[in-house]
Amino acid sequence: MAETATPANPETLRAARRSPASHLAPTFESGSVAGTVALKEIPFQTMVGVRVDRASDAGARLASVTGGLPAACGEVSGDERATTLWLGPDEFLVVAPESAHDSLGGDLVRALVEALGDDPGQVVDLSANRTTFELSGIRARDVLEKGCSLDLHPRAFRTGTALATEIGNIPAMLLKTGEDSFRIFPRASFADFLGRWLLDGMREFASPEVP
Amino acid sequence: MLLISCPNCGPRDETEFHYGGQAHVAYPENPDALTDRQWAEYLFYRDNTKGAFAERWVHSTGCRQWFNMLRDTVSYDIQAIYKMGEPRPDANTTAATTSEGATK
Amino acid sequence: MSADHLPEHPDFLWRNPEPKSSYDAVIVGGGGHGLATAYFLAKNHGMTNIAVLEKGWLAGGNMARNTTIIRSNYLWDESAAIYEHALKLWEILPEELEYDFLFSQRGVMNLAHTLGDVRESVRRVGANKLNGVDAEWLDPQQVKELCPILNISDNIRYPVMGATYQPRAGIAKHDHVAWAFARKCDELGVDIIQNCEVTGFLKDGNRVVGVQTNQGTIHTEKVGLAAAGHSSVLAEMAGFRLPIQSHPLQALVSELHEPVHPTVVMSNHVHVYVSQAHKGELVMGAGVDSYNGYGQRGSFHVIEHQMAAGVELFPIFARAHVLRTWGGIVDTTMDASPIIGTTPVENMFVNCGWGTGGFKGTPAAGLTFAHTIATGTPHELNKPFSLERFETGALIDEHGAAAVAH
Ligand SMILES: [Zn+2]
Repeated sequence: MAETATPANPETLRAARRSPASHLAPTFESGSVAGTVALKEIPFQTMVGVRVDRASDAGARLASVTGGLPAACGEVSGDERATTLWLGPDEFLVVAPESAHDSLGGDLVRALVEALGDDPGQVVDLSANRTTFELSGIRARDVLEKGCSLDLHPRAFRTGTALATEIGNIPAMLLKTGEDSFRIFPRASFADFLGRWLLDGMREFASPEVP
Repeated sequence: MLLISCPNCGPRDETEFHYGGQAHVAYPENPDALTDRQWAEYLFYRDNTKGAFAERWVHSTGCRQWFNMLRDTVSYDIQAIYKMGEPRPDANTTAATTSEGATK
Repeated sequence: MSADHLPEHPDFLWRNPEPKSSYDAVIVGGGGHGLATAYFLAKNHGMTNIAVLEKGWLAGGNMARNTTIIRSNYLWDESAAIYEHALKLWEILPEELEYDFLFSQRGVMNLAHTLGDVRESVRRVGANKLNGVDAEWLDPQQVKELCPILNISDNIRYPVMGATYQPRAGIAKHDHVAWAFARKCDELGVDIIQNCEVTGFLKDGNRVVGVQTNQGTIHTEKVGLAAAGHSSVLAEMAGFRLPIQSHPLQALVSELHEPVHPTVVMSNHVHVYVSQAHKGELVMGAGVDSYNGYGQRGSFHVIEHQMAAGVELFPIFARAHVLRTWGGIVDTTMDASPIIGTTPVENMFVNCGWGTGGFKGTPAAGLTFAHTIATGTPHELNKPFSLERFETGALIDEHGAAAVAH
């Protein structure tokens, strides 16, 4: 259960942080191919792990904070304020902008902790557990398909759905945010590996297509 | 590569799963009462069936849930997938309880 | 090193007799272990009225599927004793069997990639020395001197932090080993019967008195099971259980290359082991597949994992081609040590559970198993490897030294 103390000066804290793939930022930029495929890190999103029985009272209370809890594999619920991904039948990942974090003036973690109350379940601040990559462009799917064996064709993998799977042999969450845009949530320790893997997969699209 | 239908997530590559050995092996109700032979049986002896074998798998990089699977250990055909706690189905009836995953 | 010339193939290897109606002993399994057992039964114990039954063709199971590595650098006293005895037998067998099966003592390196590996390896070198097993600890530079094609850069996922090295270890030509034993067995009067599958056992009370086969019933006073990959199936037929799980273990070879790899390199940590066979092909082994299987094939991702590790350690292999991949079925025990001894069935004996390490143990398995069958009691060397150890708790945990994890 998260007890997130608010430090005296949030800006000091902010300035001191380094995101898991920050060292790759220039490489992501130079490796992106305008109009074709682009990769960037969206650092420091607020993420909260929730475990609860959806059908319970606590489940209903938590759902009212998050704007719903997804019912099945692939489903995503919520709005711009917070997006909730289905991780398992009783396990969810709430993803929200950086500013939603309690240490930066938000109240997401506290609200979730309060909603669960003393009922069976779990609310854990996992903001430092994963980072977020955004892979976008007309070749984004081609890049992903080099390291992910899911059927990523639009008829099978629809915008607004998310799946826990393997990308480049490492576990990651994959969220489809638009026809040609994806968000990937690798654990922090895999960020360097996955970042380089994706860059490698993007490389061919920087060259002219061989007819 | 086995293609395993997780009851929660649908068909996924074997690499997303971990193997958990023989299914339906109950922890002894009263371990203190067992003879050395019985304890050895519980600890070290598992069926090593050539043919239809009930085994446990966990969808490690997916929903992280355990389930049971009936698989032929010669052809590697998956004959049934069923929940933890459910009894083993007959080898001949295909009782796959794959729920609709979002990939479909 | 230059590519060796294969020795002249002998004109005659063995007869293909019809099974007799009875034998003094029957060995089930015509692989390396079964043939070695028959050889030592005949040579050391004068038992020549015996048969080796093989359900397929001779040495077509794991004897045809292993990566031919021979070493004895095991951790515990019991294991070091039996594997070192095997190694000493390997050293004299070509002469004794009058057959050059190309035992090449080119050394075996076991790489260490983590601090944990390093500590475990250095400890093992110490244990080996105390047991009279030749063992050395090599730093990365010494590793590179012995095997120049190894990548010892510290900028790889699992850098080489050193290695144990056993100079007397090496490889042999596996099919020639089987033929060498088979020829001598035949000379000594042993009947080798191929395409003879055991379908059941005849028992008088709890005593085995014969075997039923697809070639008829064969009466016998003693039965020795040496059928790696099928031990559990035979035990079940005979009415007892073994603490064994059977898993696919995969290997592969490349096309032939000029000699580039002077020794044998194994890595438990990244699950790959590589040598260059006499004709020039690179022979590589992988880890076991996680699931139980009898299909003599495994999953592709295991091969992919092995190749990734292989290419990182040996960048020179990146342009080699895979010629063939295959799988064998290994019978694994919970302590990664074999079982050689008596069974709950009277006059029935079992030699099984060698996991990924059966080939190197072949001569000692044969010697001790023959002793056990002939005398009814285990040899000093296989006494610790009894089936009872799973009840007494006197396990011999060789997970650290038994090649790859299982
Ligand atoms: Zn699942």
